[in-house]
Amino acid sequence: MTSTAQELHPAPTLEPGRTILELKGLEKRYPGTHALKPVNLAFKSGEIHAIVGENGAGKSTLIKLLTGVMPRTSGDVIWEGKPEALATPHEAMALGINAVHQEVVLCRHLTVAANMFLGEENSRYGILQQRAMVKDAQKIIDDLGFDLPAHVVLGDLTIGQQQLIAAARATVRGTKFLIFDEPTAYLTRKEADQLFKLIRRLKGEGVTIIYISHRMEEVFELADRVSVLRDGTLVGTRNIAETNDAELVKMMINRSIEQVYHKEHFTPGAMIVEAKNLSGKGFENVSLSVRAGEIVGLYGLIGAGRSEFVTTLYGRHRKSAGQILWEGKPVQVNSEHDAIRLGMALAPESRRDQGLCLNLPVGLNLNLPIYKRISSNMLISGAKEKAEADRQIAGLRIKTPTRSALASSLSGGNQQKIVIGKWLAHGAKLFIFDEPTVGVDVGTKAEIYRLFGALLSKGAGIILISSYLPEVYELADTLHVFRRGKLVATHGFRTANHEDILTQALAEKQEKLGGQK
Amino acid sequence: MSTEAIAAEKPKRNYNALFGLTLLALLVLLWVILSVATQSFASGNNISNLLRQGSMIAILAVGQTFVIITGGIDLSVGAVVGFATVIAAMLINAGVPVFLAILITLLVGVAIGLFHGFGIVKMGLPPFIITLATLTSLRGIGLLMTNGNSISINNDAFQEFSRSSFVGVPNLFWMVILVGIPAYIFLHHSRWGRYLFSVGSNAEASRLSGVNVQRTIYMAYTLSGLCAAFVGVLLASRIGIGNPTQAEGWELQAIASSVIGGTSLFGAVGSVHGPLLGAFILATINNGANLLNVNAFWQRIITGVLIIVIVYFDGLRRRGK
Repeated sequence: MTSTAQELHPAPTLEPGRTILELKGLEKRYPGTHALKPVNLAFKSGEIHAIVGENGAGKSTLIKLLTGVMPRTSGDVIWEGKPEALATPHEAMALGINAVHQEVVLCRHLTVAANMFLGEENSRYGILQQRAMVKDAQKIIDDLGFDLPAHVVLGDLTIGQQQLIAAARATVRGTKFLIFDEPTAYLTRKEADQLFKLIRRLKGEGVTIIYISHRMEEVFELADRVSVLRDGTLVGTRNIAETNDAELVKMMINRSIEQVYHKEHFTPGAMIVEAKNLSGKGFENVSLSVRAGEIVGLYGLIGAGRSEFVTTLYGRHRKSAGQILWEGKPVQVNSEHDAIRLGMALAPESRRDQGLCLNLPVGLNLNLPIYKRISSNMLISGAKEKAEADRQIAGLRIKTPTRSALASSLSGGNQQKIVIGKWLAHGAKLFIFDEPTVGVDVGTKAEIYRLFGALLSKGAGIILISSYLPEVYELADTLHVFRRGKLVATHGFRTANHEDILTQALAEKQEKLGGQK
Repeated sequence: MSTEAIAAEKPKRNYNALFGLTLLALLVLLWVILSVATQSFASGNNISNLLRQGSMIAILAVGQTFVIITGGIDLSVGAVVGFATVIAAMLINAGVPVFLAILITLLVGVAIGLFHGFGIVKMGLPPFIITLATLTSLRGIGLLMTNGNSISINNDAFQEFSRSSFVGVPNLFWMVILVGIPAYIFLHHSRWGRYLFSVGSNAEASRLSGVNVQRTIYMAYTLSGLCAAFVGVLLASRIGIGNPTQAEGWELQAIASSVIGGTSLFGAVGSVHGPLLGAFILATINNGANLLNVNAFWQRIITGVLIIVIVYFDGLRRRGK
């Protein structure tokens, strides 16, 4: 642990108010990563406690531990004075710990009322009392001041409305401790106001609220205290009245430039790709270009439109307007096939969903894009297949017993090397890396960054998407900032400071200023 | 670090072969037991008969396996077999040369497979639904075409084929080899085979890696339709009639053979030798039960229990590594 972390880590100040939940040295390790380093923290009844931090800072790990979704590695959880195991979600709920997730986890095909009472239905002689349940649900919803019907099917409501129902549901279960994980991500301002009213009301009833958000203004609007996580470490806890935007941002970002960032500078060469006023689903009017030997970083929050932009560039989704130029010539990219033929390669955001065939061998995954080349007519050359796979495994130092081991048996970092490695033999000119180091340990990160340098030296260009600011900051020659589907700012290598970039990616304030022109 | 890599789990490379050997051992064990338990099992006549019984399901199971590897299912194969007997019978009786009649029947199977691919890829229908729909409609179309009657095939040479043997092995079994070897090369040594696995494992990852997912799905169902039509030709030859209600429930036997042979219904796991062995294990059980005078109804129960036991143990081993 660095000395800065020690300084920033004062004992949480306890004001009068009963401590309901205390964490003592709570810790979580995964194979290869230390997701949460020992955390000491006490939550009081009736407080709204915000938790902020960058993606991957350990917020979701903390929630999963508190709600019993995952077991902790070590440490104690003291609930109302007694140590608790919190081994299952059921146990957490029995204590009164509930969570409202960013994505609604309810049954879309059931009615609002059925969802509200899911698992504790009102029944007489085994027959559901449907009408009574709808009436009760409607009463709860009305009491909360939500203008929503209880008898409709949940899926007919907007995502925001569903989120409100999820919140309302959590309130009827004897909840004493309620966790909100980025609840406003999909809400309109009006829906958010209704949610805040609910949260304040719960606070008045003595419920402890954990509020996780990227939006600073919400934290300052709602919270009593705020804790900052960074790289799995609790950096500090502040009373909201005694802190400000700038301090929190400073605490969120690791200022020490780690040795892992290995940056090689090359003279930018010929233009590889140019997007001109490109629009599509999730982003609009984005213009940017990539030259040989250059890393172009795209920074922003999840959902800011970066992934949508690159998948459209790659032909996975249709563009609605704009133009793509490849090596100076206008091209149509209607499918991934077109993109790959031009010389693009995409290492997508989600290893599990988009990157790997998990229950197939490492070798097959590595060779998937190049089977055409290693087979003559239709038959695969077994020797070439083996040689190509072994070459990538050795070159990338993928830790696998053999090329025939299943991809699922490898660690996250080694899986990521496969996702990247399969494009190396293909000989692409433009490499798109979407969050290449999520869930990857520091050592593998450094290897991946070194690989970037090797690709650039061969005249390739790279688009690097990351939600982790130091990564794009230290590696990108050109850094574009995305917010809500728009490219809002562009910087050169280390020309802006972290605070400014983060503000551009997050702040509503900036948007209001921009709106006035 | 390197020791860690070596200490990690043993390669799974031999798993498929090992599983195949286990199935083969089971088959041999069954044969040995039946040879001892009954007098007639080991007779040349009975063995030939058993090979004939198992051959047609075996060929169906190979086509079915291609589809299951992509994560789909083809419920129509039994109906395609019945329909193909009608097409073949009508063409031959109409005086079309046998060679051409067979070719046209096979093309009909291809067309049905293409239609399945179209329904799944273009109309977005689940494989279960589109193939269930063709299962029932093909039987209906066949009944309309034949007015519900069987068509006797008046071509002795055509029927002679399925009854004859070549170097002591029934012709029908030679057909399994004829289908099995190219199928094996296709699945395990061609890039199309690799794509079947990758699409079944993760269609999105395959697409982003440049695999033509739609074409792969078309191909799987087309091959299944082709295998089914081929079996239809063989069946027409064997029973000498065209009848759309033939091969009732064969789709389930084909799926059972495939699953017993180690194919995972979740996709991306399967082989060619597995379903072949699975089909002959089922045929042996049926044949043996007949010889032992076990009530025919028991055969169905035994098949059901066997599916549960084999798939359960296979799942245990996969999970337990």
